[in-house]
Amino acid sequence: MRARLEQAEETIRAIHAGEVDAVVVEGPRGPQVYTLQSADHPYRVLVERMHEGTVTLDKDGLILYSNPQFAALLGVAGDSVTGSSLQKYLDRADGKLFAELMEAAGIRGYSSGDVSLCSAEGAPIPVRLSLTTLDTDDLKCVSVLVTDLRELVRNEAIMKEEQLSRLILDQAGEGVVVIDPEGIILRRSESAKTLAGGSVTLDQFDRVFPLMVSGKRLSARDIIAAVRGDEPLRGLEASMAHAEGNTSALLVSASPLWSRPNELLGCVITLTDITDLKRAEVVLFRQAQELARSNSDLRQFAYSASHDLREPLRQLAVFSELIQKKFAAELGEEGGGLIQHAVDAAHRMEKLLQDLLAYIQAADAPQQASPNTDANDVVRKVLANFEARIAETGARIQCDTLPVLGVHEVHLVQLFQNLIGNALKYRSEAAPEIHVAAEPAQDVWKLSVRDNGIGIGADYQKQIFGLFQRLHGGGRYSGSGIGLAICQKIVQRYDCKIWVESELGHGAKFCFTLPGGQS
Amino acid sequence: MGDGPAPLNLLLVEDSPADVFLVREAMETEGLPFRLVLAEDGEAAMQVLNRVDAETEPAPHVLLVDLNVPRRDGIQVLERARRSPVCGGIPVIVISSSDSPADRQRAFALGASEYFRKPSTLDEFMQLGRIVRMVACPAKTSAV
Repeated sequence: MRARLEQAEETIRAIHAGEVDAVVVEGPRGPQVYTLQSADHPYRVLVERMHEGTVTLDKDGLILYSNPQFAALLGVAGDSVTGSSLQKYLDRADGKLFAELMEAAGIRGYSSGDVSLCSAEGAPIPVRLSLTTLDTDDLKCVSVLVTDLRELVRNEAIMKEEQLSRLILDQAGEGVVVIDPEGIILRRSESAKTLAGGSVTLDQFDRVFPLMVSGKRLSARDIIAAVRGDEPLRGLEASMAHAEGNTSALLVSASPLWSRPNELLGCVITLTDITDLKRAEVVLFRQAQELARSNSDLRQFAYSASHDLREPLRQLAVFSELIQKKFAAELGEEGGGLIQHAVDAAHRMEKLLQDLLAYIQAADAPQQASPNTDANDVVRKVLANFEARIAETGARIQCDTLPVLGVHEVHLVQLFQNLIGNALKYRSEAAPEIHVAAEPAQDVWKLSVRDNGIGIGADYQKQIFGLFQRLHGGGRYSGSGIGLAICQKIVQRYDCKIWVESELGHGAKFCFTLPGGQS
Repeated sequence: MGDGPAPLNLLLVEDSPADVFLVREAMETEGLPFRLVLAEDGEAAMQVLNRVDAETEPAPHVLLVDLNVPRRDGIQVLERARRSPVCGGIPVIVISSSDSPADRQRAFALGASEYFRKPSTLDEFMQLGRIVRMVACPAKTSAV
C-alpha cells in the first residue's frame, strides 16, 4: 500500500515536472492512454477560434497570452499584445474599475464588469470583462474573457431611440399626424386621437379631420400638394367641426417626409388646438375695444370740458375788464382792485384749463408713424420763444450738440418748453445758468436740462411729476402744476423716463431718455 | 352819422350775445361807422346771403363768422358766401374760440382773410376793430 502511495506521488510529481508525456489507465475496456496533448488540444483550439477575445494575465495585469480575436478587436498585430499591461488598452477612465475587478477576482475567484477598450484608431470599444482566477501551485494568473458589446449597445441605442420617438409622438402636446401620400393616417399622437375623438390609425385623414380654412375645405391632398411644392405649411388657421356639434380652432402646420430625394413617403401634420386661445382672444379684443372706447370717451369729455369751460371764463375775464374800464369812476380804486382779482382768477383758471388740455393731448400720437426730430432745431425754437424772458433775467444758456431723436417735434417742443421754462422761472437770486446736454445711454439718448435755480428737496423729487403738483404758492412762482406731468406723459409714450437730480438751494438737473432717430 | 363817411356793412354770424356785444364794442372803440346785420346761426346767415343775392338787402363789406354756430356751421356759411355773385369776393374774418391749427387751415383754405381767436383780455379783443378796418380798406376804396 505504502509502495503504491509512493508510486502515485511520484507520478504526480513527474506530471508537475513535465516529465510525463502520457498516462496509461486501466479501464473497463482495457488500458487507455491519456497524453497531455490529447487533453489540451481541444481547449487550445476552442480558445484560439472562439468568437470572444480572451487574455491570460499575471497577478499584475500583464498579458501572458492573448487569442487572435482580442488583438483583432484592438486592431493590432497578434503578437504585439503579449507582455503589455491590459491597462494600456483600457480607457483611462476605466483604470480604477479594472483594478477593482482584479482585486475582486483575487478574493472571490471571479469578477465581471463593463469597460471601454481603446482601439488602434482611438475609437472606444465597449466590452464586458469576465475575470476568473486560475490558481496553480507555482503560478497565479487570471483569465479574462473579453466580450464585444458594440452590437448590443447599438441595438440598445436603437431601441431607446425608437422608444423615445414613440414617446415623443405619443405624448406630444400637439396633435401630430403622419399620413402617406394618399392621405391615409400612419401614425398619430395621443393628442391627435383625443382631437379626433377616437382611434384614427389607417383611416382617411380627410374623414377624421374635416378641416376648413376661410370657408374652404383643406384636404390631405391640398396639404400633400403644398409640402410637395417645397412650401411647408406654417400655422395656417383652420376650424374643425366635431360630430358633437362643437368646433375646434386649430393651427395647421405640415412638413414633407422624404425617404430619398424625390420620393415622398408622406407628411407630418401638426394640429395645435387654439380654441381656448381664440376664445380668450375674442374676450381680450372686446375688452381692448371697450377700453379704447372708454379712453376715447374720457379724452373727448376732458377735451370738451376744458375747451367749453374756457369760453364762459374768457367772457368773464373780458367783461370784468370792461366793467373796470367803463365804470372806473364809480368803482373807485378799491372797486377796481376787487374786479382785478376776479380778472386774475379767471386768467389763472383759463391757463389751468389750457394746460389740462395740453396734458390730455400730450400722449396723442400725431399722424407721422416714425418721427425724426433734430433736437438742436427744437431747442433753438424754444429759446426763441423765451427770448424776452432770457433778456429780462440775464440768463446764460449753454447747449451742447444734441442728437436727432425718434420723437414727434410737437412732443420735443413741449418737453423743452416746460423744462427750460421751469429753469428760467424757478431761479435763485443769481442770473439763471442753463445747460442743455445729451449723451448716449444704451439704446436711447439721455438728455438733461441743468439750472442753478432754487432746486428741489429730496422729498418732493417724485411728487413734482404728478398732475397739479406745485411746491410754491402763486406769489413768486406761478404755474398750474401740469408742466412736468405733461413731460412725464410724453416720455412715457416712448417707453422712456424722466427724473430730477437736485438738492434744495443748489439747482436742479432734469434728465429724460428718448429713442434716437435717423440722422 | 348823417354827413360822415358811409357806414361799413358788417354781416356777423355769432350765437353768443356776449361776443356780439364785444364785437360792437371793438368797432366803436376803433371809431369806424358801421351797420351790423346779425345772424345768430348758420341758417339765418344763409337767408341773409340769399337776400343779398336777390338784392333785397345791401351787400356786406365784411363778413365776420364764428365757426361754431348752431344749425349750419361757419364753414358752410363761408362756402355759401364764396358762391354769392354779389358778395363772393368780400373779405372774411373768421372769429373762433378754437386755436386748433386744423380749424385755422380750413378757414384760410376757404379764403378767409383773417383768423381771429377770441382772446381773454379786453385789449386784445378790441384789436378786432383794427383788423376790420385793415381788411375793409380796399373794399371801401373800390366802393368810393
